[in-house]
Amino acid sequence: MSDAILAVPEKIPSRAVELWKSFARNRAALVSSVVLVVLVLLAICASVVAPHDPIEQFRKDILLPPAWLEGGKVAFPLGTDDIGRDILSRLLHGAQLSILIGIIVVTISLVVGCALGLVAAFFGGLIDTAIMRVMDILLVFPGLVLAVVVVAVVGPGLFNAMLAVAIVMMPSFTRLTRASALRELSREYVSASRSAGAGRFHLMVRTVFPNCVAPLIIQATLGFANAILDAAALGFLGLGAQPPTPEWGTMLSGSLAYLQSAWWMVTFPGACILVTVICFNLVGDGLRDALDPKLRR
Amino acid sequence: MKRNRCLVAPIFAAGLFLSAPAVASTLIVCTEGNPDTLSPQYTTSGTTYDVTENIYNKLVMVERGGAAIVPGLAETWTASPDAKVFEFKLRKGVKWQSNKTFTPTRDMNADDVIFTFERQGNRDHPFHKVGGAAYATYENVLAGKIAKLEKVDDYTVRFTLNVPTAAFVGSLSDGSFAIMSAEHADKMLKAGTPDQIDTAPVGTGPFSLVRFQRDTEVRMKKFPGYWGNATPDMAAKVDNVVYLIAPEPSVRIAKLKAGECHIARYPNMPDFETIKADPKLELVQGPVADMSYITFKLKEKPFSDKRVREALAHAIDLEAINKAVFFPGSKTTGSLVPPTLWGRNDELKPRAYDPEKAKALLAEAGYPEGFTTDLWAMPIARPYMPNGRRAAEMIQADWAKIGVKAKIVTYEWGEYIKRIRNREASVGMTGGMWDFPDPGHSITGRWTCVEGKPRPNNTPDWCNADFQKEMDAASQISDQEQRAKHYRKAQEIWLADIPGVLLGNGAKFEAARREVKDFKVQPFGGTPLYGVSLAD
Repeated sequence: MSDAILAVPEKIPSRAVELWKSFARNRAALVSSVVLVVLVLLAICASVVAPHDPIEQFRKDILLPPAWLEGGKVAFPLGTDDIGRDILSRLLHGAQLSILIGIIVVTISLVVGCALGLVAAFFGGLIDTAIMRVMDILLVFPGLVLAVVVVAVVGPGLFNAMLAVAIVMMPSFTRLTRASALRELSREYVSASRSAGAGRFHLMVRTVFPNCVAPLIIQATLGFANAILDAAALGFLGLGAQPPTPEWGTMLSGSLAYLQSAWWMVTFPGACILVTVICFNLVGDGLRDALDPKLRR
Repeated sequence: MKRNRCLVAPIFAAGLFLSAPAVASTLIVCTEGNPDTLSPQYTTSGTTYDVTENIYNKLVMVERGGAAIVPGLAETWTASPDAKVFEFKLRKGVKWQSNKTFTPTRDMNADDVIFTFERQGNRDHPFHKVGGAAYATYENVLAGKIAKLEKVDDYTVRFTLNVPTAAFVGSLSDGSFAIMSAEHADKMLKAGTPDQIDTAPVGTGPFSLVRFQRDTEVRMKKFPGYWGNATPDMAAKVDNVVYLIAPEPSVRIAKLKAGECHIARYPNMPDFETIKADPKLELVQGPVADMSYITFKLKEKPFSDKRVREALAHAIDLEAINKAVFFPGSKTTGSLVPPTLWGRNDELKPRAYDPEKAKALLAEAGYPEGFTTDLWAMPIARPYMPNGRRAAEMIQADWAKIGVKAKIVTYEWGEYIKRIRNREASVGMTGGMWDFPDPGHSITGRWTCVEGKPRPNNTPDWCNADFQKEMDAASQISDQEQRAKHYRKAQEIWLADIPGVLLGNGAKFEAARREVKDFKVQPFGGTPLYGVSLAD
């Protein structure tokens, strides 16, 4: 009996190692993160890796099928589009753009969303009500519709599209931050910190916020996927990236006419969007399992 | 007992529903966009004519699938030797359609013809301002020409013109000169809803409007009183016509394959092979009288400088665009008049692709580094421009080589036309089809001015006195040889001054299911659906 009580583990694993172990146990998440790392590397090195300039038109080589099919050329591994641009090069540069979109959108909505959420939680009363009702109003509209409205107001273009998607995603961050902050505020350590004389700002940023981070990381990862998907949707509607910028959604919409006759023009950008979004979602799921102690047990 | 009845009723109903299509034949056409209005007088859009052509009739019509003028609501006509007085004998016993708010009490007569033309031409007519008074076709074709329009008797009207107009009878076959009911107009005015004459059309044609649901469908049903039902080629041979609005060409083809529609308008070039390979489908081809071009905003720098325009023209690889974007069999052109019509100047060639020369010209004009402009791309496929966006991307790449950075701008089709007509584009992509078989028609509307004021569709605001002189001369004489001579000279002037760049002349294709019988590609104006039938 007493032996069992005394059996203390030799070494308590650090939090990070423990997290990694529990994350690595999720195969899908692990594979997905590897895919994402490769994708990010490819995107960063796009101008080196890509065989051609993504906007150069090889007018003698229009609508070439992928290299392994009859009529394909090795110079264009995934074929060319209807005005002779190399699809592989466009996809690689498109990856750059999509990942950039993800980062910028998530950063904007995360920063603004968290700030608003914390303010709402700490100040309460009228400020809280005002912020949260505005967020509720934003949540009422379907995401894409709201994004289209925002783009219609500020004009089409890649940056405006990102802004639109960021606005769409903001409420989820705000609500999440506010909820976690309210929960933490009732804890003893916050009261202790407050009675020790910590100011409101210190409490907000140094005491409470670090303890709200876990759900935000998950939301950010999932948001990344949504951002790419929404930006692609806006691109598809002609409201996002403007030609000749290679962007996955725009590539899709431009090639829709070739669905039946030149499948490679539609399939590859579609597959890229699919794989990236699935990977981000799986990584997000994996992170949630690892970070949420309740689910872990 | 009770339970039994409950079971039988739905089965019986389902049986009725299933057998219904066999009784009433419905011809479904997958079309590319919304009609911009339901009034033939207020449009120049082929999509709209496709609808109005089947609701209304004109005094004279173009034969189906051809270029000959045939009798419509006028049975016969005579022209004075000086081509200034035209008398039309109207068909008797032509019935008007009715709708929820209107039931006709009389047949079509001279009053309706006079109402139709007076409304568009007479600024003091009570209906002139209804709907906005922007009668683009009338302005282009007839404005200022009609000195007097008289009712000789109930079934005879006489037009007296200011200037001899050789193409007058032919021009009345334009879709916009569809005869509208004067009685309907009177009733609607009395009811306080005059705009109904444009929104709830009442015609004499083979089909009457059931409903128009934006972005979804235009539904029409056979009009039993239609006068043409007695003539085999003119008769309505299906009970209902539905235009399904499907802006995406591949969606139209997919629907065609699935049997959701019988005719798919404007199939995409990439799908031609698939259509030919499918035993259930047919690719119908026909000639087309078209003009496809980009325009320059001549009032603004840098386009006011002819050297800049010439440079931009030299920088476009037209051959490549024709090959990649246009339909098979299309050719580059330097003449405004298409090969299907007389009066074409075959000696004119487009400017050769020569980026070096273009650069030199730009430098000479003071833009050695190029400049930034917008470039408008048509959002939908038309026979004269199958893929505007791709064409724009090719021009963008070509111009980038001489330092001209073009930003591609595009809008939904209705909005696009509106903004192009508002002169918002620096470089606008547009084009058109001839609505009736006379070489002067489309050119007059798109490149001439009235008393120094550009016509609505003359979007680059190009008023050239020499060109105008030739065009006016050609329209006022009746000798075809002489007219052709003037048109050829006019085309030369146009090419020399470069108000725009012609992109090519195309052909027209439609896709249909095999069970569609006797469907013909229409080279001019809207596509009529009378005479078309469905095999079982």
